Amino acid sequence: MVAINRKRKAVTRDVAEDPIAAPGDEFTGGDLEGVLSQSEDESYHSGSNSEEELEEEEDEVDGEGDDSELEEDLEVSEDDDEDIREQMRNLQTSNPPPSHTNGTNGDLQNGQDFSDNDLDRFEDDSPNYTVTTDANGNTRYIYKEIDPVYDSDDSDAAAGVNTIGDIPLSFYDSYPHIGYDINGKKIMRPAKGAALDSLLDSIEFPKGWTGLTDPATGKPLNLSREELEILKKVTRNELPEEGYDPYPDMIEYFSGKLEVMPLSAAPEPKRRFVPSKHEAKRVMKIVKAIREGRIKPYTPPVEQENEDPELINYDIWADEVPRPDHIMNIPAPKLPPPGYADSYHPPPEYLPDQQEKAAWDSTDPEDRDKEYLPTDFGALRKVPGYDNVKMTFERCLDLYLAPRVRRSKLNIDPESLLPKLPSPDELRPFPTVCANIFRDHQGRVRSVSVDPTGTLVASGADDGYVRVWEMLTGRQLWNKKLSDDEAVDVVTWRPSKDTAIIAAAAGETVYFTIPFGLHTVNPEIEQASREVLDSGFGYQANKPTTETNINKEPTATWSRPSTSLTNDGVLLTASVRSTIKVITWHRRGDYFATVSPKGQSHAVAIHTLSKHLTQLPFRKLKGLAQTAQFHPSKPIFFVATQRNIRSYDLSAQTLLKIMQPGARWISSIDVHPGGDNLIVGSYDRRLLWHDMDLSTKPYKTLRYHQKAIRAVKFHQGGLPLFADASDDGSLQIFHGKVVGDLMENATIVPLKVLRGHVEKGALGVLGLDWHPRHPWCVSAGADGSCRVWC
Amino acid sequence: MELDAPNESEKTSQVRIKLTTRDSDVQLLETAPILVSTALRRYALSTLVNNLLESEKPVPFEFLINGQFLRTSIDEFLTANGISAERTLTVEYVRALIPPVHISSYEHDDWVSSVNVLATDSRARILSSSYDGLLRIWNTTNTDLLATSPSARDNGHTAAVKAVKWLTEKKIASSGDDRTIRIWNYVEDEGSAAAITPVLELYGHKMTVGDIAIHTPTSQILSASADGRVGLWSTSKTTAPTAPTSLLPTASSSANKRRKLAKADNKQVSQRGPLSMLDGHTDVVSSTIFKHDDPTVGYSASWDHSVRTWDLTTSRLVDTRTTLHPLLSLTEMPQVSLLATGTTARHITLLDPRASSSKVSALTLRGHANAVSSLAVDPKSQFGLLSGSHDGSCRVWDIRSVRSVASGGGGGDGGQVGESVYVIYREGVEGVKQRAVGGEGVKVFGVDWREGVGIVSAGEDKRVQVNRPEGKQ
Repeated sequence: MVAINRKRKAVTRDVAEDPIAAPGDEFTGGDLEGVLSQSEDESYHSGSNSEEELEEEEDEVDGEGDDSELEEDLEVSEDDDEDIREQMRNLQTSNPPPSHTNGTNGDLQNGQDFSDNDLDRFEDDSPNYTVTTDANGNTRYIYKEIDPVYDSDDSDAAAGVNTIGDIPLSFYDSYPHIGYDINGKKIMRPAKGAALDSLLDSIEFPKGWTGLTDPATGKPLNLSREELEILKKVTRNELPEEGYDPYPDMIEYFSGKLEVMPLSAAPEPKRRFVPSKHEAKRVMKIVKAIREGRIKPYTPPVEQENEDPELINYDIWADEVPRPDHIMNIPAPKLPPPGYADSYHPPPEYLPDQQEKAAWDSTDPEDRDKEYLPTDFGALRKVPGYDNVKMTFERCLDLYLAPRVRRSKLNIDPESLLPKLPSPDELRPFPTVCANIFRDHQGRVRSVSVDPTGTLVASGADDGYVRVWEMLTGRQLWNKKLSDDEAVDVVTWRPSKDTAIIAAAAGETVYFTIPFGLHTVNPEIEQASREVLDSGFGYQANKPTTETNINKEPTATWSRPSTSLTNDGVLLTASVRSTIKVITWHRRGDYFATVSPKGQSHAVAIHTLSKHLTQLPFRKLKGLAQTAQFHPSKPIFFVATQRNIRSYDLSAQTLLKIMQPGARWISSIDVHPGGDNLIVGSYDRRLLWHDMDLSTKPYKTLRYHQKAIRAVKFHQGGLPLFADASDDGSLQIFHGKVVGDLMENATIVPLKVLRGHVEKGALGVLGLDWHPRHPWCVSAGADGSCRVWC
Repeated sequence: MELDAPNESEKTSQVRIKLTTRDSDVQLLETAPILVSTALRRYALSTLVNNLLESEKPVPFEFLINGQFLRTSIDEFLTANGISAERTLTVEYVRALIPPVHISSYEHDDWVSSVNVLATDSRARILSSSYDGLLRIWNTTNTDLLATSPSARDNGHTAAVKAVKWLTEKKIASSGDDRTIRIWNYVEDEGSAAAITPVLELYGHKMTVGDIAIHTPTSQILSASADGRVGLWSTSKTTAPTAPTSLLPTASSSANKRRKLAKADNKQVSQRGPLSMLDGHTDVVSSTIFKHDDPTVGYSASWDHSVRTWDLTTSRLVDTRTTLHPLLSLTEMPQVSLLATGTTARHITLLDPRASSSKVSALTLRGHANAVSSLAVDPKSQFGLLSGSHDGSCRVWDIRSVRSVASGGGGGDGGQVGESVYVIYREGVEGVKQRAVGGEGVKVFGVDWREGVGIVSAGEDKRVQVNRPEGKQ
């Protein structure tokens, strides 16, 4: 066996050398002969050399084996030498095989051929070429094909490789050959079995049948089971090798188990149980990288279906403009022009026969290869218009049904955009109906005021009367004419339950009245009220000596009125320089402020009732003073001019804030009992809510009236209500809830429009007041009536 | 049953009804459902019930189905209310309230603030108080003015009188804006001479005394004042304590001056103070009553939304029932243990004052268009109620006529709501003005309802008006 092995190797070597000589084939010219002989020699030498080398190698390799065998080997090799030389000769002179085959048939044929050639060679010793003349008349040597001997299994020489390149084999369909080998020889089409054979083959699959044809050879491609197995593994990205375990069990050489015979006797190093600093460092590095986002966590790759979303396809001819012909301009491929079949009068050969027509009709419209069956109309005018219409319709339908981007319409319920306001029904109680009408005044009622006990209403009108009414029954209990020629502009009760004093202003005089005879004026209260009014007389008597007002007239004159007034309870008057339009009390009832808008530097005066003292703290007001009010709890005073509202700290005598409601002409203001909010009514029909903590601009503007707003008022008795009175004869009631939480804004809900007052002389409702506890409000109308709303 | 036969010929459908009543004296013996024609009306049903009762003298009945009075035929009623005629209908029959008609009016010089009727076997007298500070006594038979109280100069009320009550046949109590309660003697001769003479002036309230309640056997008076207190007074000179000097008119300089201007030879009327003053209300006390069977218990209604129960012997507050609205009037319906109170929110709330009841409001009676200023109970029916309101109308209610409503709507407490049976408008006032905005000129301030006299109401139209069911004395 070894001998055969060795022989084969040797031959292999020889043939391997052969291709070096073979290229000589391609050379033309006289040198070839010499070259050939030379090559023969070389091949010979090389053959022997190689043999010796081999033997030496074998010696080295088998050196350890038996000597006898070696000797035997040597002998054999020597015997073989002659054979090999002969074979070499045979090899060089053998005829070309009719075809290159891998199959067994071919091998058999080759074997036969070789035997024939061998015979021939021994018979004639003719040169191995023939001389012919080529097309030019030159001599041409045609050498015989070098035929490798039968048992030279040449693996290097790619036997029968088709050199036609990347050309479909179908090009050779009409030829007996299927291509050319490296030597330019035709590779003949393998003999194909008869139709019966292929049928048999198809019925009974031969072993390893794949149904494929080897494109290189044109023969059926047979794969053995092992090859298939390997292919399968390759397609699965597995190792093709058999029996390879990619996940072998781990052998724990170093485990916590104490081995009887440890691999190392060394004591366990510290690093085994001390956490590695280096690893910690690396981990921290990775952690840091993850935190910074340099390392992204693994996400399984998204299975991409057919289309890569990142792959953008551009339709470069989408909006193609006709351009001059240029090499860089690739025009859009043209649609094939209509052929004969599309003609309305096609040649008869394009017309379908009955069978084709039936076939066309029977197939589904989607499956037809042509949409249009050639029809002969004979003339264009005979083409029915309907088809055109239908075609147009279908095209439009195509366009219409073509998938487009679905645009979601913005579908918002307009109700949802409205602010969420509670329903007025939930905000009860608030005044809804007129419960009472007080009619007795001649001329406009300018002002109303509910007394601190909540049972009486005082009203002042243009007729100069102050009248007091029972709130619920509407009975007039008391009245007094203060002035014959001046209207009573403002009436207010002193804010104290211990006294019953009405302060009413007619012209430039404030009249302080104790309405004797009213049920609230019992002897105790009468006495207390008298004391309040009279206490200042002594003070005034003492004062003038020190600070005399010689050079200028006094800011106000406090005096006891005439007896006719005194008998009816008007016990004190205070006169300033110009007509008083507003009286506003400090909550304790000692201080009150009067505003006379035309008074210029004397416009706003703060009076001390207990001292009969008048001060003019705001000498230089910018703009006409309209109204003023004390802060309900702090020593802060609000003065409203036409455009602005200024708040002053009375104790520190500083200006705190200037609020700009944005109204053109402020008519009235009221401060929320909490002290942080302010409502402003203006002659330009606006009601403005100021959150003084929020901004100097109004938090909310309510413009619901048709005409100027005359009066605004907060409910002072704990109900979250406020109201305004307007020249359009209506009052509007609002819910205005202020939450203690600074983060939450006030809730303002319009509740009710109270109509009833009649407009008279472009004036509607002039005054307004709330009951101190109940949700009742009183309004003063220009029509001479007051109304109570419950 | 007898009525079925003639109706069957008219091919009308029939309905099964079950007759019930809450009046024990007209109870039916057999209570099984009977089949009647749906074409029947109130009168036919009333005849049927009278037949079933076998009463000698027919009693007119009204019929309540689901809390509503039957005013049409049964068929129309069923259709209007969507009730199936196949169900057994529970029909409650009640003694019919005959529509009250105007009998007479008593003209006054000023607004009449309250009215009280004395009805004894021998005579019936109407006592009225007016805003001019005078009390007047009227004869009901011939609408004559029998007597007028003395004026302020002669120890009369110095301001409007707000409430007046008969203490006995010969004694009158009144209160008013002059913060006093005055006791008067009334002497009436057989002939014409009748006189009211002041007996006692009771001082103690600091504001108007809007309402008084009397208890004749103990000679005690409860007063409701705008100063937020309820006063308990004695009507006898001997038992009453002395008056607080600071509240006497002598303490007031203005009143003194007026007094000096008045006659100097006026003899002084005794002045007394309260037995006790009950503090607790935070607002005007508008009305007060004694418990009907217990003079030691008083109830008071106030603008502070509450009805309070007082133990008068210890002057202690026993219970507080808080409603949603200021209250103006109060009366007790003894047999059904309810307090009726009129509110400024235009309705009447019925409360159960007993400690066992958990609900604040038992029933709400809606219909008035303005504050309900006074209340009176039906002398004949335990379920009848009369109310006078500032909207210028008096309404008669039957609290059996109720229906349930969902809560909300109108600020009520929900629950059961009743509707009025009859509405009495002011007589002699034009129809347009009867429903004047704010009850202007027609407000009713006081009502009373006595058997034999009828419904007596007083108001802003300066009249006392008597209405009575027709055909009955």
